Amino acid sequence: MRLENMLRKRFIKPLFQTAVCIIVIIAGGLYSSGASALLQTGSPAPEFSLKDLSGKETTLAEFSGKKAVVIFFWATWSANSPKALKRFEEFHKKYAQKGIQIIAINADNQTISEEDTAKIKAVVAGAGITFPVLLDSGLKTFREYDVIALPSTIVVTEGKLSYSLPGWPLAGTEDLFDYLLTLAGETPKKKAEGGYKPKHDAIADSNLAKGFVKKGKYAMAYPLYKKAIDKDPKYMLPYVELAKLYVLEGKNQEAEETLRSALKVEPENVIVVSELGYLLVNTKRTKEALEILSKPAKEESYTPALYYYAYALAVDGRMSEATPAFEKALQMNPFDPSAYRLRGMSYEMNNMKKEAAMDYRKALEILLKIRN
Amino acid sequence: MKPLYTKRYEPLVSLVIFFSVLCLCVLFYGKAYSQEAGKDKAVQLLKSAEGFYDEGDMEKALSAVREAMSAMPGNAGAYDRLGYILLKKGQFDDALNAFNEALKINPNLREAKTGTGLSLLGKGDLAGAEATLTAALALNPYPSMTHYALGLVYQKMNDDAKALSQFKEGLKTFKEGKK
Repeated sequence: MRLENMLRKRFIKPLFQTAVCIIVIIAGGLYSSGASALLQTGSPAPEFSLKDLSGKETTLAEFSGKKAVVIFFWATWSANSPKALKRFEEFHKKYAQKGIQIIAINADNQTISEEDTAKIKAVVAGAGITFPVLLDSGLKTFREYDVIALPSTIVVTEGKLSYSLPGWPLAGTEDLFDYLLTLAGETPKKKAEGGYKPKHDAIADSNLAKGFVKKGKYAMAYPLYKKAIDKDPKYMLPYVELAKLYVLEGKNQEAEETLRSALKVEPENVIVVSELGYLLVNTKRTKEALEILSKPAKEESYTPALYYYAYALAVDGRMSEATPAFEKALQMNPFDPSAYRLRGMSYEMNNMKKEAAMDYRKALEILLKIRN
Repeated sequence: MKPLYTKRYEPLVSLVIFFSVLCLCVLFYGKAYSQEAGKDKAVQLLKSAEGFYDEGDMEKALSAVREAMSAMPGNAGAYDRLGYILLKKGQFDDALNAFNEALKINPNLREAKTGTGLSLLGKGDLAGAEATLTAALALNPYPSMTHYALGLVYQKMNDDAKALSQFKEGLKTFKEGKK
């Protein structure tokens, strides 16, 4: 008996502690790998170190003492970017002293040429920008922040993502500036709502599940997504990811049920509506899909909504209407491989092999990070 | 005649043996350590070369790869990287040589096989590129990039149907994680 106790004390306890440590390390690895690939409100903001127009390196960490850092992703070819830059400059002049730091990150091209730099400098000078303008050569930061449209704005408070605005929609933009006014300690024009912050353990479960999906361990991902939904039913991301996992395994019915249950909680959620629309197109309910997708597509704030809508139009035999919708989506984000893939599929359906091949090629070039 | 070895010398002999073994160990591990350090340096340099390549700075990428090659000679990965930089610079013959060197060291290096196909495509040898890439596809377990290269060859051959099918296959294999 004494020997047994001694063995327990000497070996079993340290063994148990080691096992716990290993599990924590593995789980930590899974968590962090998921976190970096998935950006939602409450996620840690990825660090970056980018050169400004004079070649000086600037990092996010340099602004850690600020109340908020507004990261504005933009491009010279995007029609809304110059006016957005001007609006941020006005805000910067008034509120920089109140701890709100604006940073503009240019994402003109995968590789920024001298010609691109000249264009960027001209736009920056034209807008009279005095806050840092950084160049994301290689688009690493653009990808790490999961940007889906240009321009896009991300607000970072206490090192975490607290607000994001894809595109430059009229109403959304005013909400963003009201939120920034609140952060600056000013009175907003209307009651500003901060970005919704999901519960931390729901984020952790969801990220852990995404890690398992990446490793192909789908069976382990399902219960974690469901747990995340139980822990925070208002958190939309696990619904979307769970639905995508169901689709991946050919369980379209379950995917639809998951998305519809998310819509019961937040009926207007643009991501959920868009994914449901896309699922409907793929399950041959094109008319219903078009009906669902038309509203988020018209809002032009979420790029996938636009190209899902365009794809639904193509499937419905309305290629002439689909083409401009695809164009619009690609203007918002020319680095989204899915937009090219779906347009390629649409061309292929219409027997336009040359155009289809070009789009599939472009999608592949983006995925394989091939610069031309 | 006095015996050459007496018990008197025993501690001295032991000491000599001990130091000899110690020296051998130091030499052996020292060499291994310097090789390891060279390998680490080369890996670091290749990583920064990749960064420069991604940013489009081919000159810096080239100098980082050359430095990596002198830090660790005979590295197939370094020759492969060199090949892709030369390919990007439009120096197809030099790129072909670099890929050949990589394949001499590691005949199964998939990227170098695809690089050979791309170099042949750059030189205008479409039939050669098609044959090389098709052969690479037969051996290659991660064919996304090779499908892409073959798609480019068929586009040059004005065979849109085949190009389309290769790019599509490339997208499919990428989705399955076979880059």
